[in-house]
Amino acid sequence: MTSGGLGPRTFGTWRAGRSDWRLQVLTVFSLSVAFVCLAASLLVVTNVEALRDRWSRAGRATVYLKDATKEADVTALSQALQQTAGVARVRHVTSDEARREVVATDEALSALPARAFPASIEVAFDDSVTDEQLKTIALKLRALPAVDSVETYERWTERLSSVLGGGVTAAACLFVIVLAAVISVVASTMRLLLQRRKIEVEVLRLVGATDHFVRRPFVMEGATQGAMGAALALAMLGIMFLLVRQRFDHHLANMLGVMPSFLPWPIALGMIALGGMLGAATAFFSLRRLTTV
Amino acid sequence: MVGNAASRFRNQAIRQGHRYDPSAASRPILVFDNVYKSYRPDQPVLRGMSLTVERGEFVFVTGPSGSGKSTLLRLIHRTERVDDGRLLFLGRDVARLPESAIPALRRNVGVVFQDFRLVPGWSVYDNVAIALEVIGLPQRLIRTRVGEALERVGLAGRGGDAARVLSGGEQQRVAIARAIVHEPALILADEPTGNLDPQLAIDILGMFEDIHETGTTVLFATHDRSLLDVRPRRVVILDEGKATDVPSGLGEDDADLAGDDPYADFETDGDLAVA
Repeated sequence: MTSGGLGPRTFGTWRAGRSDWRLQVLTVFSLSVAFVCLAASLLVVTNVEALRDRWSRAGRATVYLKDATKEADVTALSQALQQTAGVARVRHVTSDEARREVVATDEALSALPARAFPASIEVAFDDSVTDEQLKTIALKLRALPAVDSVETYERWTERLSSVLGGGVTAAACLFVIVLAAVISVVASTMRLLLQRRKIEVEVLRLVGATDHFVRRPFVMEGATQGAMGAALALAMLGIMFLLVRQRFDHHLANMLGVMPSFLPWPIALGMIALGGMLGAATAFFSLRRLTTV
Repeated sequence: MVGNAASRFRNQAIRQGHRYDPSAASRPILVFDNVYKSYRPDQPVLRGMSLTVERGEFVFVTGPSGSGKSTLLRLIHRTERVDDGRLLFLGRDVARLPESAIPALRRNVGVVFQDFRLVPGWSVYDNVAIALEVIGLPQRLIRTRVGEALERVGLAGRGGDAARVLSGGEQQRVAIARAIVHEPALILADEPTGNLDPQLAIDILGMFEDIHETGTTVLFATHDRSLLDVRPRRVVILDEGKATDVPSGLGEDDADLAGDDPYADFETDGDLAVA
């Protein structure tokens, strides 16, 4: 009879919120501080991962043309490229233009012969083009008689991608360490909270409450506090994120080539669920000591 | 065919362990049979203690500090476990109850402690109502019964007050209300007047006597000699791990004998019967 589902009795025995709300608020705040660290590390993982994805492909290619290529062939090739799916922009760079651009950055290179600056077509791709598609396009271009070679910057992007991959791994390791710390903080907070409310457990045992009856309100309370702590942490981090993004959004986006983003909804909801589960589990295990009277 | 059906019905209706036993009502409510209990092997608290308490009795349990008064009550409540011997409550051996049956045992016993054991942050109502919530009574009934219990202990209309704002005497009344609200068969009082002044102590004792008048068995542990003299009651003296029974209470002569150790010479009294 006393071990039924959640009902008025559960909430009736859950008097903590009414009797000691300051302690409840303090507990939620302590948990939220721990969860802010966790959410921040998760935010770093998410954004470094997005950065790696962005920089794992150059998103552009340079098609070097043979010296004898006629203007009509270049125009035809440019038009064909413009009509190719995934191509965002096509620009023809003549040999003279190439020389001017290079010499403008380094005067010493002006002595190089004209064949050092071949005419080319610069192709920019949009984000929908995968590495495989880029390789296929490059392969087809190399087969054309007017094309001398095609540079997809693959080696450079691979190197950058591996560096950023290392960053993702480091951020993930940081996340695991912070997660361990958060579990420890949540467990300690719950243990302290329950120690302070030991008398409630004693009274419940005294009047003949079953283990289930004793644990239920505390486990529910732990779950609620954990979830609220995580939600508060996300709210605090979200506000900080918005403030930072408002100031540095433009510069960051230009510099990184990717828009910094907050935690996606599924991850945010998952963190709240994690908070709830951690709170419930730590309350359950902390109570096991107190209820073995 | 009809006989088989009747037999089947009888087997369903009278389940093993739930058989109605008319003789149960006439059996003692509490029997300590050669009970041993020690916290350390070299210092036994109870050494082969035997004691019988009948239904509806009011028994004082007294003795010097460390004599095992609280231990005796804790054994009944199964907060401690008997090392050896039998402890029967309502015919069932408390020492051999499975863990799952302990809550049911405690719902049949009301306990009052010297330190009240109230949740300070809860209201008076909540502190009393919890004893009924664990049983699973509906809220409407809980409200009625808590109101009645508070009235019996003189705290009618104080249900909304927080327990922490009450005086010591009032807190003890709340603890008594919690102990009686579910109408247990037995009330255990472990030095319930220990933190109260003498007049308040007598008031609280009167309250236990009123509870006893309704037919509830009361075991009242105290080392306060003055309470034992208020009215002649059965007194059980614990000393050296044994119980000494004084069925008609301590008389004037015993009061004269009381020195530093008021129980030192009890065994010379003709009234005493070793249980």
